[in-house]
Amino acid sequence: MRRILAIETSCDDTCAAVLEGPRARSNVVSSQARLHARYGGIVPEVASRRHLELINPVIDAALEGGGTDLDRVDAVAVTVKPGLIGALLVGVSTAKSLAAATGKPLIPVDHLHGHVAAAFLEPEPLAPPFLALIVSGGHTLLAEVRAHGSFAVAGQTLDDAAGEALDKAARLLGLGFPGGPAIQREAAAGNPESFPMPVAMSRGGGLDFSFSGLKTALVYAVGDLGPERTLERRADLAASFQEAVVGQLVAKLRRALDRGGWEAVALGGGVAANALLRERATALCAERGVRLKLVPPELCTDNAAMIGSAARHAEPIAYPGYLALDAAAR
Amino acid sequence: MILGFDTATGITAVAVADRGAVVSEEWAGPGPDGRPAAARELLGMIDAAVRGAGGWERIRTVAVGRGPGSFTGLRIAISTARALSQARRIPVVGIDTTAALAAGIAVDRVAAGGARVGVVDARRGEVFAAADRGEGAGEPVVCRPRELAEALGGGLAGATAAGDGAVRFRSEIEAAGFAVPVDEDPANRLSAARICGLAAKMGRGEARFPAVVTPKYMRRPDAERWRERDHRS
Ligand SMILES: [Zn+2]
Repeated sequence: MRRILAIETSCDDTCAAVLEGPRARSNVVSSQARLHARYGGIVPEVASRRHLELINPVIDAALEGGGTDLDRVDAVAVTVKPGLIGALLVGVSTAKSLAAATGKPLIPVDHLHGHVAAAFLEPEPLAPPFLALIVSGGHTLLAEVRAHGSFAVAGQTLDDAAGEALDKAARLLGLGFPGGPAIQREAAAGNPESFPMPVAMSRGGGLDFSFSGLKTALVYAVGDLGPERTLERRADLAASFQEAVVGQLVAKLRRALDRGGWEAVALGGGVAANALLRERATALCAERGVRLKLVPPELCTDNAAMIGSAARHAEPIAYPGYLALDAAAR
Repeated sequence: MILGFDTATGITAVAVADRGAVVSEEWAGPGPDGRPAAARELLGMIDAAVRGAGGWERIRTVAVGRGPGSFTGLRIAISTARALSQARRIPVVGIDTTAALAAGIAVDRVAAGGARVGVVDARRGEVFAAADRGEGAGEPVVCRPRELAEALGGGLAGATAAGDGAVRFRSEIEAAGFAVPVDEDPANRLSAARICGLAAKMGRGEARFPAVVTPKYMRRPDAERWRERDHRS
């Protein structure tokens, strides 16, 4: 599969990309973030409607930007799970129809494999084995990547995703959506040690994450302070909360490295854009003499280039084997 | 030839027609779990219909049911139609699902001067409906079944109403003065041949490439309504 058209609609970004080997010839993302901001979070029905409006122009833009057309594409790849089912269905119906009407193979991709596979892309592609920490509004995942075509989940969140926790904290502090960048901006002027947050570390040495306790602690802190003092202390609250989230992420990464044998780490997902997380992960990897691949920002947030990258190492289904293929929420 | 399909109601319907003659017509009910099976069934049925008609080269127009009906159903059908259009460079025309249902009621079954009304189950105790008084179906409305006659603007004495919504709310709709065919009457089941038929009547001029067809949701997302309510209070 030399040239792949990849499609991603699992959440609130409508994405298409053209891949040639480990190089993205184009990577088009039409973000719905501003649309959903007015609801204070992602509304599935709104997202599905928007995907339907955007998907074909986004695909046209990806083909054109990639200097190609559908006839010169060897396969169509698409995210089939996990995600918002109504949103996934727009991408899957579109991808299946494009492939079937031209007799091309279809490559179904797991969205999380996509985030892992973002590390395989240029510039400076990373080859397995490596540890991948994927942190976003939808996922918090520590994955052991030993081959291109698969990954093993070493740890994941038991409740909220890290980005989701940041979103909720931002809403609680009246900082808007998406929460990650808003918390980071506010935290810059705050003292991260001013409000002690609970440390969620299981004694058994597990690698799973938990952020609901942090959220509860913040709810209590805000309740104790009252609206006026919360506003006064907002920077300190944001800094303390961000410190606790990043602290837990890096602590679990440290634990995973302690288990040994890893020579490289990939940091990806939307929250990987967080400066504090990047700084702490960089320090940890330097201390351990491990290579750290910071996935570039445009490949960190949801995008279709990463789906195409995973597709290069997944099993294509020849026409017409995929006609009944369905999307799955999980 | 025209390829027509609709997944706005609980069934998946696909047909191919050539100059007014139906070449093939298929439909599939909900899956064993009772949920609409369009995501799994639609493309395979389209693929078989197109191959049976001699391949994509023979298909000059795609006609798609644009609702009103199930939001997910509309998106599956319309994203499929748009992608087929994008891949094959063929124009698409959108047909109201309610109009196709109205057109499925045989004219000779309607009392002289009586209208034909297509009724889709809109959930939440409501229906989507449109009346054809002999000049094609009008714009669909959304209403409670017992308010069907007024919602459609009255003057519907002797009208026949058909569709999954007419079957589901038979007693209210009959009490409102409409005749409803027996449950198993084919008129109550959306026919993709009617989608093709209405598309043929509209003529090639109505079909567009690139496709511009959009769903007729008839309802805004709940979140939007809640947001407005919150802002008012
Ligand atoms: Zn993601």
